[in-house]
Amino acid sequence: MDWKEYFLAALIVNIFQMALAFVIFAFQGVLPLNPQGFPGLSWDLAFMQVISFGTNTNLQHYNGEGNCVQLPNCAALTPGVPGLSYLSQMMAVQFLQFTSAATGICAAVAMIRGFVAHSKDLGNFYVDFTRSLTRILFPLCFVASLVFVGLGVPQTLTGYQVFFTVESAATRATQTILVGPVASLVSIMQLGTNGGGYYGANSAYPFQNPNPASDIFQIFLMLLIPTTLCFVFGQLIGKKRETRPILWGAYALFALDLLIAFTPNFPVVGPGMEVRFGGFFSVFWTVVTTAVTTGSVNASLSGLNPFVILSAFNGMLIQATPGGKGVGVMYMVMFIILTVFIVGLMSGRTPEYLGLKITARDVKLVMIAFLVHPVIVLVPTVLAYSTGATSAIGVGPNSIGFTKIFYEFTSAAANNGSDFLGASANTPFFNISTAIVMFLGRFAPIGLLLSLGGSMINRKRLTTEAGVRTDSPLFALILVGSILVLALLTFFPFLALGPILEFFQGRMNGF
Amino acid sequence: MLNLKREFRQIYGPAVRLAVISVVLCGLVFPLVITGIAQVFLPSQANGSLVQLHGRNVGSSLIAQNFSLPIFFHPRNDSASGVDPDITVQDARSQIPRISSATSISSDMLKQIVNQNEEGTFWIFGNPYVNVLRINLALIQTNSSAYRAFQ
Repeated sequence: MDWKEYFLAALIVNIFQMALAFVIFAFQGVLPLNPQGFPGLSWDLAFMQVISFGTNTNLQHYNGEGNCVQLPNCAALTPGVPGLSYLSQMMAVQFLQFTSAATGICAAVAMIRGFVAHSKDLGNFYVDFTRSLTRILFPLCFVASLVFVGLGVPQTLTGYQVFFTVESAATRATQTILVGPVASLVSIMQLGTNGGGYYGANSAYPFQNPNPASDIFQIFLMLLIPTTLCFVFGQLIGKKRETRPILWGAYALFALDLLIAFTPNFPVVGPGMEVRFGGFFSVFWTVVTTAVTTGSVNASLSGLNPFVILSAFNGMLIQATPGGKGVGVMYMVMFIILTVFIVGLMSGRTPEYLGLKITARDVKLVMIAFLVHPVIVLVPTVLAYSTGATSAIGVGPNSIGFTKIFYEFTSAAANNGSDFLGASANTPFFNISTAIVMFLGRFAPIGLLLSLGGSMINRKRLTTEAGVRTDSPLFALILVGSILVLALLTFFPFLALGPILEFFQGRMNGF
Repeated sequence: MLNLKREFRQIYGPAVRLAVISVVLCGLVFPLVITGIAQVFLPSQANGSLVQLHGRNVGSSLIAQNFSLPIFFHPRNDSASGVDPDITVQDARSQIPRISSATSISSDMLKQIVNQNEEGTFWIFGNPYVNVLRINLALIQTNSSAYRAFQ
């Protein structure tokens, strides 16, 4: 397939898959495996959620378990708060988590094929997709799911369990235990860097993340495929040394994220954190989940220091530290080509990468791919305030409120999915605006970068090494520098109004 | 334009088939196989790590249960999930005077029970903690006279 055929196949398969999931969400009320009797989702919420899962974002404007999340002794579910049936959790959420992860892997491999010497096309999407599922995701998720069950994550189709509590002899109190097919979902949501949890509280909820061992295993799963794909790049193009700028660049930026997050203090357990993880793993998780754009959380974002949030923004604005599975590598190649071009301009050499001359069209493509992100983050953030959509859900025009709205759209655009707003953003404005942002944030860069890969096929390769060497530590350093300049300068005014202002206001109030 | 139409028609058939096959495999077969294996080999964890007192289910060791009487250890209620099953050891120790005066169990005895129920996090990261439901069940089982009503 050439890049257009490959992209069109991926897009159409994805759209059909989202349509199937939409039917499940909208009609879950009359479909089987719904012991809680949840009604179908409203059309705008169902629309937003299938795009959210289909684009690997996993922003959630509902609570999977219904409205029991904040109530230790929830005996009955009050109607009104959207929840998901077991069938929806399996055939809509887990389904799209698998397929969007496989699509990400396909897109990366297809783009890389364009850079491989003597390749004739970008490959066949259907073959790549099927192999990603059957050779990578199913085997790994099979093992991971059973490990999670062993560590205490439930996997059952029986309804919620209701008991008289220990104190019931005196109080007559009952407790509802919210079980379900959780383990099979947690494995793919972490391995596929999806991040959409079974429960509203995500991996802070003990059934989704019961102990420190499950916490560390989930961090491992999140990092596994994005890191592996850095090596796949060098392997496929036949020059293993070319893995270096991608891997070193990604992990240098990741280290910087950690540095920012741990700068204010060494975190201890505070409000909004879970005792079994403590402060360190709550903060470390938040850095990892945004660095690989997974978006799962194991603590309430509101309870974290603004500097941790700043670090989270950093991961989502760059998207290549090492980024989501598949697209992270694509973004890093985009940054490498930009850097090669800038260095070429400064040193007066012909810009080339892997022996391929970088043309004006290539630079235009990567610049457009880069600029998609700021446009779809900043425009809707401003729109949300100017149309009054923020005050409608009680978010104020101050640094804390601004951080929440800016975070919502950054997370949507980066296909991350962690958020402050949660089910409170279940309004037509936020459902539709985030759906558009997620769709563009996913498929526009994939299309542009596949086009870039496709244009490399049959391009003449220079035999003399006239260009800048890209496998040296010096280049990795320049790469990190130019990524920081590009990404942070674009977003700095917005960061200054949000988490940075919040940090200094907190300092002034003796926080 | 004509070209694009033909391409779309070529893609349409395989795309529908792939979407249907993938929804059955990823959305039904995979989770059902995992459920089957989990229910056969790991039934206790797969069903929510339920905890029994005298043969009766009283809760899950992973989910906080509300304790309001002064004779029991109380969970915290400000955590991220709202159902954090654990409290820090300091928190548990700070509740000892209340429990001791309500039950007339000695402070030393209660301290010993807290120590026995202590669970650790990974070395320097985080503080040791106590599972509230398990420590309260330990109280009931070791002090049958003070907790007669709950036997």
